[in-house]
Amino acid sequence: MKLTTLMKTAAIATMIAIPGAALAQWAPSGPITLQIGFGAGGSTDTLGRAIAAAVEENTGWDVVVENKPGGGGVAMLSTLVNAEADGSKIGMGVTVATIMNLAMRGDKLPFKIDSFDHLATVVLAPVSIIARADAPYDTFAEFVAFSKENGGSLMGFDGGPQRLIMQSINNTTGSQVELVSNQSGAEIIKGLLGGQLDAGFSAGEHIQYLESGDLKMLGVATQSRHPYSPDTETLVEQGYPYSVEPYFYLAAPAGLDPEAKDALATAIDEAIKSDALDELIENVMQTKASNLGPEGTEAKLNSGLADAFALIEAAK
Amino acid sequence: MDFATIIAGLTDALTPLNLLFVLAGVFVGQFVGAMPGIGPVMAMAIAIPFTFALNPLPAIGFLVGVNKGGLIGGAIPAILLNTPGTPDAAATAIDGYPLTKQGKPLKAMKMALYASVTGDTFSDIVLITVAAPLAILALQLGPVEIFALMVFAFSLISGLIGDSISRGAIATALGLLAATVGLDPEHSTPRFLFGMFQLYDGFPIASVAIGSLAVSEITLRVARMRGKMRPAVVIPKNQTKDQKSVSFAEYWACRFVLLRGSLIGTFIGAVPGMGSTAAAFMSYASTKQTAKDPSSFGKGDLRGIAATESANSSVAGADFIPLLTLGLPGSASAAIMIGAFLIQGIQPGPLLFEQQGQLVYGIFGAMIMANACNLLCGLFGLRLWSKLITAPESVVFSIALVLCVTGVYLATGGAFGVFVMILFAVIGVIMTVLRYPLVVFIIAFFLGPRFELSLGQTATILRGDVWNLANHPVAVVLFAMSIFSIYWLGIKKRRRKASD
Repeated sequence: MKLTTLMKTAAIATMIAIPGAALAQWAPSGPITLQIGFGAGGSTDTLGRAIAAAVEENTGWDVVVENKPGGGGVAMLSTLVNAEADGSKIGMGVTVATIMNLAMRGDKLPFKIDSFDHLATVVLAPVSIIARADAPYDTFAEFVAFSKENGGSLMGFDGGPQRLIMQSINNTTGSQVELVSNQSGAEIIKGLLGGQLDAGFSAGEHIQYLESGDLKMLGVATQSRHPYSPDTETLVEQGYPYSVEPYFYLAAPAGLDPEAKDALATAIDEAIKSDALDELIENVMQTKASNLGPEGTEAKLNSGLADAFALIEAAK
Repeated sequence: MDFATIIAGLTDALTPLNLLFVLAGVFVGQFVGAMPGIGPVMAMAIAIPFTFALNPLPAIGFLVGVNKGGLIGGAIPAILLNTPGTPDAAATAIDGYPLTKQGKPLKAMKMALYASVTGDTFSDIVLITVAAPLAILALQLGPVEIFALMVFAFSLISGLIGDSISRGAIATALGLLAATVGLDPEHSTPRFLFGMFQLYDGFPIASVAIGSLAVSEITLRVARMRGKMRPAVVIPKNQTKDQKSVSFAEYWACRFVLLRGSLIGTFIGAVPGMGSTAAAFMSYASTKQTAKDPSSFGKGDLRGIAATESANSSVAGADFIPLLTLGLPGSASAAIMIGAFLIQGIQPGPLLFEQQGQLVYGIFGAMIMANACNLLCGLFGLRLWSKLITAPESVVFSIALVLCVTGVYLATGGAFGVFVMILFAVIGVIMTVLRYPLVVFIIAFFLGPRFELSLGQTATILRGDVWNLANHPVAVVLFAMSIFSIYWLGIKKRRRKASD
């Protein structure tokens, strides 16, 4: 008993000591403000507040969380871009939301991807295509064929790229899937269970319904399969060359001192890897954290923007 | 679900520690909710970080307390100052504020408290006993039915408030117009932005509600201040018991009003997407419509307060039905509640009752206890508010204005929201002076986005063909009821005008 306690203490001491040593170079001069691009209570907010708490615990810095909702993160990014690049202000949003805004009305926005120094991604939302368990199709390809045979079907979506993907598939296959706009994944699930929708997109809310046997997965909309359902093929594997990869990510205004950027990225990485975040991500998304790091985040945004332009063309 | 789990859960709720957190939550909710400009939803948002360190049951119990306390608190500024912070409280102000002007604020607040606790307890009992079957029933109501239900709500509300149908219709149209600002729900096309990216999600709800309902009233009252300092509310000395409290006979006379309010609220709460505002006004409208003496409404009728408060409070309990069974929030405070569940490591949804049965029944127990705390806390608190409100007008309204600005700044995350609040305060003053029903404007604004989304969904689901409505009998009935209700209200109004 005593030995375990001792070992735990030692382990915690090391955990505190390592980031402490790495961060000795740079520390913020005052409190850091973390602006969340979405409203209080949503998944971005929940994750952001947990990261702030973990950073505070690991480093002893003060992190103040503010909600700056509006336009899928545009309101937050538009303020962040004008903030001083001294590491005192960082923002959190969702990659796909930022990308879609840049792709559709980039000329009207006061920022570009390189207006920011990107720090980290937190987690990839496990976007999937789902249907009720008793539906007469088991894969996305079968659903497309079903829709074509029956002169159309109804599919719920809650984000711009999902609509574009389905419209592109309609264009190439003639599947005539009609898209019904919804405000959240939970609402799409309500439509499926109530029989008002034939299929729909979901970013993790569906997983417990797979366990309860009410829903089934037709396909995976991200680039690789999901661990909780290893047999469900991606859209690409089923012959449709599209994917959507919404990462929650953090950024600061461009022009950070490299030392400050490094310190911030390290502190955030430590927070993302903490047990508290691990448990929370498991609860909210039923998946694991994935931090692509500063370069990886920026590369993801750039490639995502190129894909988005192609998708807009294909959906026309 | 076995009986032992239910009992174990309910017993958990009765431990002194949990009771203490529920009571603390109710106290915070009533107090913060009563601040003009801050209100019940902000009370929840402020309370949530305090729950991070707690265990699940005390944490959720505390928030349940804040939520329920806020429902009572929200009615207080509406009754005392005519400065509601939310549209549902605006319905309470219609009959509550006239009572205050008659020197009977305590009576009005007590009626609100009793009605609120009644409605809340009713919907909690429904939640505890028949949540699962009710959730299945609610699932059957799809976008088409919800759209029809909203049309019905509009038809009830727009004809009933104010003295002219055309002014009511104009106010509705203006409210819907204000609701179209921002990205459209179907294709995300920006509308009426004038280069302001802050408007992507539309005018912030807190700015519009507090600006047009509270700040405009404060402005008008300040404009009327003349000469020496007067108390904000004059309560005559030596009041009889009848003027200070609600007798059981008066409460019992409202039993059908309360029952109808609770039923409407519970039903609307179980269907996600309508919200307590629609419930409060539907209950008020149907009470006024069926009364033998509709002209007494708006002049301090206890039935008006009973109708709105029982309906909007019963939404709070019923909101938990889609929340617990589907993880679907039906209101802003339910959305905050889901965040709290997730932080505690609890995933609302189909497996919740199986995996966390004891906790769920613990929460149910906490809800019932919160209702009892609400009654107790309210009876003490209301006296305090009625004392505070006799302070000089200049003091009360300046404090209220500061609180409104602070509340909006916090809720919208910056000064932009405060500017929008000022804009809507000006619009509110103009509409009040020109005798356009402000309340109708605000309901239309509140329901507008959901109305537009449901319209788009309905058009897609019906594939643009009205005849496909034949597959949705419930919607057809609701549309027929809307036409009937407009016709009926029109005839009644015309007759009343003719007889005057």
